[in-house]
Amino acid sequence: MGTVALFILTIAAIVFSAGGILASRFFTKSVYNPQKGQPYECGIPTSGTPWSQFHIGYYLYAIVFLLFEVELVFMYPWAVIVQKIGVGALVEMFAFIVVLFIGFLYAHKKGALKWM
Amino acid sequence: MPEVLQKILWLSTALFFIGVYGMLTRRNMLAILMSLELMLNSVNINFVAFNKYLHPEKLDGIFFFLFIVTIAAAEAAVAIAIIIHLYRYHKNIDVGETEELKY
Amino acid sequence: MIYYLLHNLLPFKQELLLLLGIFILLLTQIFGGKQHTEWTLQWVNLLLLIIVLAGFWPVGYNSAFSNMYQLTSLNAFEKSVLAFAAYIISLQGYNWLQRFEHTYEFYVLVLSSLLGMFCMLSSTNFLFFYIGLELSTLPLALLVNFQLNKKQSSEAAFKFIMSAAFASAILLLGISFLYGLSGSLNFNAVAAKLILNPFSLVAFLLFLAGVLFKVSVVPFHLWTADVYEGAPISVTAFLSVVSKASVLFVLLNLLFKVFYHLQSVWHIVMLILLLVTIVIGNLFALRQENFKRFMAFSSITQVGFILVAFLGNAYNASTAVVYFLVIYLFSNLAVFGVITYVENAFDKQNINEFKGLYKKNKFLSWVLLIGLFSLAGIPPTAGFFGKFFLIMSGSENLNYIPWITLAAVNLIISLYYYLRVAIVVFDNNVEFDAPTIAIPQPIKLSFIICIVGILITGVGSWIYHYIYSLTAAAF
Repeated sequence: MGTVALFILTIAAIVFSAGGILASRFFTKSVYNPQKGQPYECGIPTSGTPWSQFHIGYYLYAIVFLLFEVELVFMYPWAVIVQKIGVGALVEMFAFIVVLFIGFLYAHKKGALKWM
Repeated sequence: MPEVLQKILWLSTALFFIGVYGMLTRRNMLAILMSLELMLNSVNINFVAFNKYLHPEKLDGIFFFLFIVTIAAAEAAVAIAIIIHLYRYHKNIDVGETEELKY
Repeated sequence: MIYYLLHNLLPFKQELLLLLGIFILLLTQIFGGKQHTEWTLQWVNLLLLIIVLAGFWPVGYNSAFSNMYQLTSLNAFEKSVLAFAAYIISLQGYNWLQRFEHTYEFYVLVLSSLLGMFCMLSSTNFLFFYIGLELSTLPLALLVNFQLNKKQSSEAAFKFIMSAAFASAILLLGISFLYGLSGSLNFNAVAAKLILNPFSLVAFLLFLAGVLFKVSVVPFHLWTADVYEGAPISVTAFLSVVSKASVLFVLLNLLFKVFYHLQSVWHIVMLILLLVTIVIGNLFALRQENFKRFMAFSSITQVGFILVAFLGNAYNASTAVVYFLVIYLFSNLAVFGVITYVENAFDKQNINEFKGLYKKNKFLSWVLLIGLFSLAGIPPTAGFFGKFFLIMSGSENLNYIPWITLAAVNLIISLYYYLRVAIVVFDNNVEFDAPTIAIPQPIKLSFIICIVGILITGVGSWIYHYIYSLTAAAF
C-alpha cells in the first residue's frame, strides 16, 4: 500500500515539474540579452573567471585551523567526567590548553596567520 | 559474534581496501591523502564496533578512535604542508612528475 | 606534596628533560628577539648528554599513566643509546646547522621525535605505543623536507609520510583485530588471549607488517633509498640509526612479551624475511653510485642480520640486538660523519667523488675505513663481535642452522662492496678536488667518540655483560 502511494507520488512529482518546464517552453517567447548570462543577475557585474585558484594563504589557514580544531575532540570526554574528578581534571585540561596555546603563539609569531 | 557486527566488519573491510586501491592507483597527491583517510576511518569503524558489540564494559575502543582521529588530522596537516611546499616551488602535485629519485 | 610529585615524575626523567628542551626552544622562538644559533647548539647538545646520563640513574618506582607506561632499566639504557646517537648526529651536523636558517625548528623536531621514541619504548599499552610511534614519525617527515629549495627533498618527504602513514594504517588494522580478540589494549591482557588461530594470526601479521615497514625489511623497503637520498644528510643519519634502532628495540619487547605464544609462526616469518632482506640488500648495495643510497641498502642488510638474533630465546636475543645496535650506532655514525662533513663542505655525494680523499686528509679517511670495516664485520673492530653474538643467538635452535649459514655467507658479499668504497677512498692516483680541509672541533670530537666506541665496545666484554644483566632484569 505504502509503496504504491510513494510510486504515485513520484510519478506525480515528475509529471508536475516536467509539465511546468515544458509548458513554459511552449508558451513563452525566449529573449536573450548578455545580462542574463551572468552568474548573478542583480548587483555589480562580476570580475574575473569563477574558476580561479584559491590563494595559497587559504591553505595555510586551513592547516592551522585543522590542527587546533581537532584537538577539541579531547574536551568532550573530559566534559563528561570533569565534575566527578574535580580539580585534578581542571588542572590537566589547563596544561593541555597551555601546550596548544604555545603552538598557537608560535604559529602567530611565524606569520602563519598573516594575510599574504 | 552478533550479526550486525559481521555486517559492520564487511563495511570496514570494504572501505579499507577501497582506500588501499585508491592509494595505489591515484595520481593526484591529495587524492592519495584522501584514500589514506579512508583506510584510517575504516579502522575507526572496527574499533567502535568491537567496543560496542564485543567488549562494552570498557571504553578502550572509543578512546583509541578519538586518538586515531586527532593523529590522522596531524598526519594530514603534515602531508598537506609538504604538498603545498611542492606545489609552491615546483607547480605540480602529480605523482608521475615527482620522479627525480629512482633506483 | 612536592616529594610525592617528584616521586611520581622520576620515571619520566628522560622524557621530561626532552619536553623541557622543546618548550625552551619554542619559547625562545616566541619571545626571544635575536637568534643565538651558536649558543642553542651548545645547550641542546648538553641537554642530550644529560639525558644520556639520566638513563643510568637507578630505576625505582617505575610505572605511570595507570600502567600504560613502564620503565625498566633496559628501557632506560636503550633511551640513553638513542639520545647519544642524536648527540653525535647533532655534533656532526655542526657546520650545516650553524648556517641553517631553521636550526631551532630542527632541534624541536628532533627532540619531539626522540620523545615519541621514548614513549614507544616504555609503553605497555597499544594506545600509548601507537601515539609514540606517530610522534616519532611525523616530525621525521618534516625533517626530511628540510632542504627547502630542493625538489628532491620534498619528494622524499612526500614518499616518507605516505609510506609511513600507509604502514601505520595497516598496523592499526592489526591492533583493531587484536582489540576485538582480547577486549583490552594492555600488552599483558592481549598476550594472555592470543592463541594460534587464523584470526589472531591475521591480526599479528598485519601488526608485524606495519612495524617492519618502519625498519624497512625487504618487502617493505621501497621507500628507504629514495628518502635517504632526498633528505638532508644529518636527517639521513638520524633515520638510519636512531629511528631504526628505536623500532627494533620495541620489536624485541613486542615479540618476546606480547606475541610469544605465536613464536612458532614468527620464527618462520622472520627466517624468510631475513634471508630475502640480506640477499636483496646486498645485491642492490653492489650497484649504488650515490653514497646515501649505498648507506640505505647497507642499513637494510644490517637490519636483516639483526633479525637473525630474533630466532633465539628472549635473553640472548635482546642482549645481542641491543649490543649490536650500540656498535651499529658507532660504526654507522663514523661513516655518516665523514659523508656529512664532505657533503656539507664540498657538496659531494657520489662514491667516485671521494677518490683521493686519503691524500688530502688522512684522518677522515681512517675514520671512514674503520667505520666501514666495522659495518662489514672485520675482526679487530666491534662489528665482528656484534655479528658474532647475533648469529650465536640465532643458531640456538639447530633446525635453523643451514639457513643462518646461508645468511652468514652473505657477509662475504657485503665485504666486497664495503671494501670497494674503502679502495676508492684510498686511491692515491687521483686528486681529491677541493680546497684544504679544516675540520671544526665538534665534528672532530664526534669522530673520536665513534672510533673509541668502535674499538672499546668490541674488546670490552663487560659491556656485553652489563647489557645481559639489564635484560635479565627486564624479562
